[in-house]
Amino acid sequence: MINLRASLPILLSLISIGCSSERELPEPLQKGLVYCSEGNPEGFNPQRITSGTTVDATAAQLYDRLIDYDASEQAFVPALATEWQALDDGTRYRFKLRDDVAFHTTNFFTPSRNLNADDVIFSFNRWLDSTALYHPVGGGSYPFFTATGLDRLINRVVKVGPHTIDIVLNNADSSFLANLATDFAVILSAEYAHKLDIANQPELIDQQPIGTGPFRFEAYRKDYYIRYSRNPDYWREGPDIEHLVYSITPNANKRMLKLVTGECDVIPYPLVSKLRSLNQAQIEVKSEVSPNVSFWAFNTQKKPFDNPQVRQALSYAINRRAIIDAIYYGSAEQAESVLPPTSWAFREAQINYQYDPEKARALLDEAGITAGFEMTIWAMPVQRVYNPNARRMAELMQSDLAQVGINVRIVSYEWNSFRRRLSRGEHDTALIGWYADNADPDNFFRPLLSCAAVATGSNRANWCHPGFDQILLQAIATTDTAERRQLYRSAQDLLNQQVPLLPIAHSMRYQAQQDFVTGVELPPYGGISFRRAGKELAQ
Amino acid sequence: MTRFIINRLLYFVLALWLLTVFSFFLNWLFPGDVITNMSGIRVATEAYGEEFALRGGDTNLFVQYAYYLQNLINLNWGYSLVTQQPVWLEGSRTFMATAEILLLALLLALLIGVPLGALSAAWYKAPLDKTIVSFAVGGYSIPVFWLAQLLILFFAVNLRWLPITGQIDPLYLIEPQTGSVLLDIALSDSAYKASAYQNALAHMVLPIVVLASLPAMLLLRMMRNTTVEIMQQPYIKAVRARGLPPYRVVMQHAVPNAMQGILQQLTFIFGLMLANAVIVESIFNWPGIGSWLLKAILDRDYPVIQAALLLLVATTLFANFLFEIYRGWRFPIVREERYGSA
Repeated sequence: MINLRASLPILLSLISIGCSSERELPEPLQKGLVYCSEGNPEGFNPQRITSGTTVDATAAQLYDRLIDYDASEQAFVPALATEWQALDDGTRYRFKLRDDVAFHTTNFFTPSRNLNADDVIFSFNRWLDSTALYHPVGGGSYPFFTATGLDRLINRVVKVGPHTIDIVLNNADSSFLANLATDFAVILSAEYAHKLDIANQPELIDQQPIGTGPFRFEAYRKDYYIRYSRNPDYWREGPDIEHLVYSITPNANKRMLKLVTGECDVIPYPLVSKLRSLNQAQIEVKSEVSPNVSFWAFNTQKKPFDNPQVRQALSYAINRRAIIDAIYYGSAEQAESVLPPTSWAFREAQINYQYDPEKARALLDEAGITAGFEMTIWAMPVQRVYNPNARRMAELMQSDLAQVGINVRIVSYEWNSFRRRLSRGEHDTALIGWYADNADPDNFFRPLLSCAAVATGSNRANWCHPGFDQILLQAIATTDTAERRQLYRSAQDLLNQQVPLLPIAHSMRYQAQQDFVTGVELPPYGGISFRRAGKELAQ
Repeated sequence: MTRFIINRLLYFVLALWLLTVFSFFLNWLFPGDVITNMSGIRVATEAYGEEFALRGGDTNLFVQYAYYLQNLINLNWGYSLVTQQPVWLEGSRTFMATAEILLLALLLALLIGVPLGALSAAWYKAPLDKTIVSFAVGGYSIPVFWLAQLLILFFAVNLRWLPITGQIDPLYLIEPQTGSVLLDIALSDSAYKASAYQNALAHMVLPIVVLASLPAMLLLRMMRNTTVEIMQQPYIKAVRARGLPPYRVVMQHAVPNAMQGILQQLTFIFGLMLANAVIVESIFNWPGIGSWLLKAILDRDYPVIQAALLLLVATTLFANFLFEIYRGWRFPIVREERYGSA
């Protein structure tokens, strides 16, 4: 009896501890921010990885780049480099570095000097120069730089002065600066690398990172959290918050609940429709058109898809509007071009390919395709930002195409063999997409639709059009934006008319947060940044 | 009593020894290199040769087992294949985190189950008894994971009183030194200890309540049934005949005797709670040994799987041992049952 009486107040007091009004945060919670990330980072060096989770966790927080891309101005802006100029017809770029940039001081490293040219050369050579001491550390693979061809484009990086470097290119390439502004081209500390080398622990460079970014690395516990603290010596205006924690929460439902209970301040990839139905006034959902596109590629090396008229007819035959509503639940906009409308080189579609089965039938008749024609649609087996459900999309297209008398068989394989078979050109048509790494329009054209990409297998349409290739090469050989815009516009017109692939949708990227969180904007390109993060709490 | 303790101790050590033998042979049953499975050091690395020698890789099974045991006792439990962190360090932390909620939940279960069971017995077949029993049957039938979802929905999502994951808000910057968050706060140099304790306790409420629910209901039913049985004994009739009110009969004579049976069941209940802890820890992201084991199984992290199994089983054995010793000391009849004398 006594036990019972004694236990009740304890229970009640335990429960009441949690009861505090929502807005009164204890002091440590006012000074920090919790971001509930969707997974563990692979490491702490964005040079070595491509996964968005790792980029979000590291790039903008720990490091800086030579230059940044300002999406609102659509221009490159100074970061670690104060100025830069293209020399020798765009084959040599000279960068002047800031001299007031300090590397992180942590309990495992104290820098003795500020950033200088040696750090930049060390950072570039890490992925560029296969003979560099640190190149093989961690496996020696740098997928971003290999995929964009930056490791073949750059000939060498030369020190001109203590705070001046030259990057010598093998040929002029106007997408070069865009690649330098990506999350991957970060600057590491040569002094720290040297210290680790002496201690015979070079692998720590990617596990206990030192950078120049707005936050310093504190601790990482796999499956639980990453902890960062504000870099007090940051060279530009840093964040309001003193601590930043990544609370690792792979389960999307739990992420949402943790946002509702206030355990997360910001979450990525929220379940938007469920969150809205919970009707939580203090939660804000933000969205941004992200630089991706999902498309329907026709294998132009197979008959009858080599005929542009057939491709146009098929484009008229499917109801893109209805498909987008059914697959994306309103979280995507219909694509007019492969380029998203946020790009400076975007051009509206001249032929809209509005759903018109009769016109499609007429065009097919003209091309000699009789009713009962059979074809395959390859639907990718995985979810991607640009397409959450390719198989369902293929089914909807199947029924649309049946209306014009075409029988569709849907084909799908495990993701890796799916891509391998696509590269071999086994498909008739395929539903797949593309996600851009940087703001340069070239990133949407050359990897997707050039003749060279047919050979490497990333041109899903196997479309090699010499005239189109010529335009692309002209566009990267010049740095004049007006001229480039003109060239890309004519490239898009050509695509619009030839339809080697039919762009379907640009999907949105979402983020949900407490309404008192400020300065955490969804970046159109690259990973999330907390450089301006703060909390606006009513006092 | 000494004889009893030595006897129990021998059983405990024997069981522990069998456990190490089993765990030793697990290294052969797991796919891959045996030394890697034991130490978490991969074959292609420089450290492998050293580890191979340290664990007697080129000797026979018996010598290898001796080395294995030596490493085990020296707490050289190898490294996780996934994180490359020392297994013992992570293991001891997760163990403490589990021990923390497990002990508190057991305490809560005793505080709820025993008094309610006694109450029920005192009013045997009265409306109060029937209410309590139906409550117990209901509580007993609710699966742990469902109860957890229900409580989360009510207390965390609707009322927003309680948090749902982890031991403490990570912004308190409490380093996991021991693994038990209450101890860690005490050891930390945080300037916000009081607020940190509040936050940590709030984080504990739901896992503990969920973990305690099943054992509390079990204890309640056991307590009620045993007490009712004892109430039929002649000595109870005797005290009643002397005019003691029913309430005091139960409290002073029946309950203390019923406790003996309850204690006997505690070992079983403890094992049950350990099994439930695995589920509860996964639901509430409690960094305990259960969720550690689950993740290790998903990652095929053999050194960790081994360590987690060892710790879990050893804990059960040790708890069993302690309960028996206590019972032997508290209730001489237990010793007599075994030896015919005290």
